[in-house]
Amino acid sequence: MSTPATGRPAAGGDAPASVAGDALVLHPRDNVATALRALEVDQSVFLLGVAAVGATVLREPIALCHKFALRDIAAGEPIIKYGESIGRATRAIRAGEHVHVHNLVSARGR
Amino acid sequence: MESPTFLGYPRARGAAGVRNHLLVLSVAGLTGPSARRVARALPGARLVTMPFGGGLLGDDYAQHLRALAGFACNPNVGAVLLIGSDPPKVDKLTETIRAHGTPVAAICLDDCEHDALTLSDRAIRAGARLLRAMSRQRREPVALSQLFVGLECGRSDPSSGMVANPLIGKVTDLMVARGASAVFGETLEWLGAEHLLARRAATPAVREALVQAVLRREQLAARQGVDLLGNNPGPTNIAAGLSTIEEKSLGAIAKSGSSAIMGVLQYAQAPPAPGLYAMDASAYSPESLSGFVAAGAQLLLFSTGVGNSYVSALAPTIKLSANPAAANRLGEQLDFDASAVFRGAASLDDAARDLLATVIDIASGTLTWGEILDEGDEVVSRLGEAL
Repeated sequence: MSTPATGRPAAGGDAPASVAGDALVLHPRDNVATALRALEVDQSVFLLGVAAVGATVLREPIALCHKFALRDIAAGEPIIKYGESIGRATRAIRAGEHVHVHNLVSARGR
Repeated sequence: MESPTFLGYPRARGAAGVRNHLLVLSVAGLTGPSARRVARALPGARLVTMPFGGGLLGDDYAQHLRALAGFACNPNVGAVLLIGSDPPKVDKLTETIRAHGTPVAAICLDDCEHDALTLSDRAIRAGARLLRAMSRQRREPVALSQLFVGLECGRSDPSSGMVANPLIGKVTDLMVARGASAVFGETLEWLGAEHLLARRAATPAVREALVQAVLRREQLAARQGVDLLGNNPGPTNIAAGLSTIEEKSLGAIAKSGSSAIMGVLQYAQAPPAPGLYAMDASAYSPESLSGFVAAGAQLLLFSTGVGNSYVSALAPTIKLSANPAAANRLGEQLDFDASAVFRGAASLDDAARDLLATVIDIASGTLTWGEILDEGDEVVSRLGEAL
């Protein structure tokens, strides 16, 4: 039986091992990807996941787990993650820009 | 595949316990401080106090009574020491607990000359006798089908929705396929994902109940003029990268896996049959967990993104995160590290197998960090004003 790859956290806090990709695209319809680690501006990121979108150049730094646009998105257009709408763009968003509460709003609860 | 078992405490009625707690239960606010003194004098006892109790009305009162009986009859409770002020309420609850087959002693302030010290003395003696009798119980191999697991997420980040919650979903599917039961709640966190849940409803009535429950919560927020942004997702979620309730919900519902949803339970309502259930309840973890535990859940699977130390007092709460930074930081909080999946170093299927082994290990007696550090509590939702 090999050592399990997951399980109890290691004591002492080893640094995470190398990341296989920079960002994850969860569904072919998605127009955003999620950073798997902190990413830098002008970085050409290697995308993992279902979409064959290749690399995207970032226009701003993206923190771990934050989202960026995979393509240009028009104001009012739905932001798609998990293949589902997670809200609408409140202004035009260019590919490689950070997508968060400053340019994305929920369509629900209002 | 062999049928997996865990080492549990068989009960007179219903499923086996994964723990054998003496529950010191104060049924209303008046006796809370005395119950605290009593529990302190009985090492190992679990204290649950209801801060309210007098003048409750209608559905609020029904929910309060359902939660009290639910905690007392949870399989993890080996015996109950009931403490209250008014005999009718205490007597009725004592009857319910006795009918369930759980040993119970009840001490009422009215029978103690209205003296908290007399009550404490009698309660400590009664509790000591219960602890002595309970200590004779032994664990035995029990089928996994006897497990009822509550599914929760708290202080989530996008890693929760991408890895930790789908991982819980896979383990839930494995357990439900073997005859176990599971429940997810946090109704507001179905918002924007309700069409996906609705497709999995076992019947049209369940589909309608799921959709109506989430619409009711949405209208509740809209009528009060509450912007969900900053509320749910909250400030911690937003800082971690979650932008809208839809994004959070799509990640949150992954905990429920892919099994059919057999029904929508009221808060603290026990499921009528095995399988996966939804509970219409607050999305706030303390209230949500207590709803599951009062419904009979013996074990909780709780994902977090950046970290969340809160656990149930009565049900071992398995904490997991897939966030590599959190996994490095929270060695004495996280019972399971799913960050290898996030880093691409392990598959979700391998992690699900490991997490199921952790579930069986903890169900069989290994302590969670939350139990060791005593981070547990029970908090019951209220619905309205009291007289």
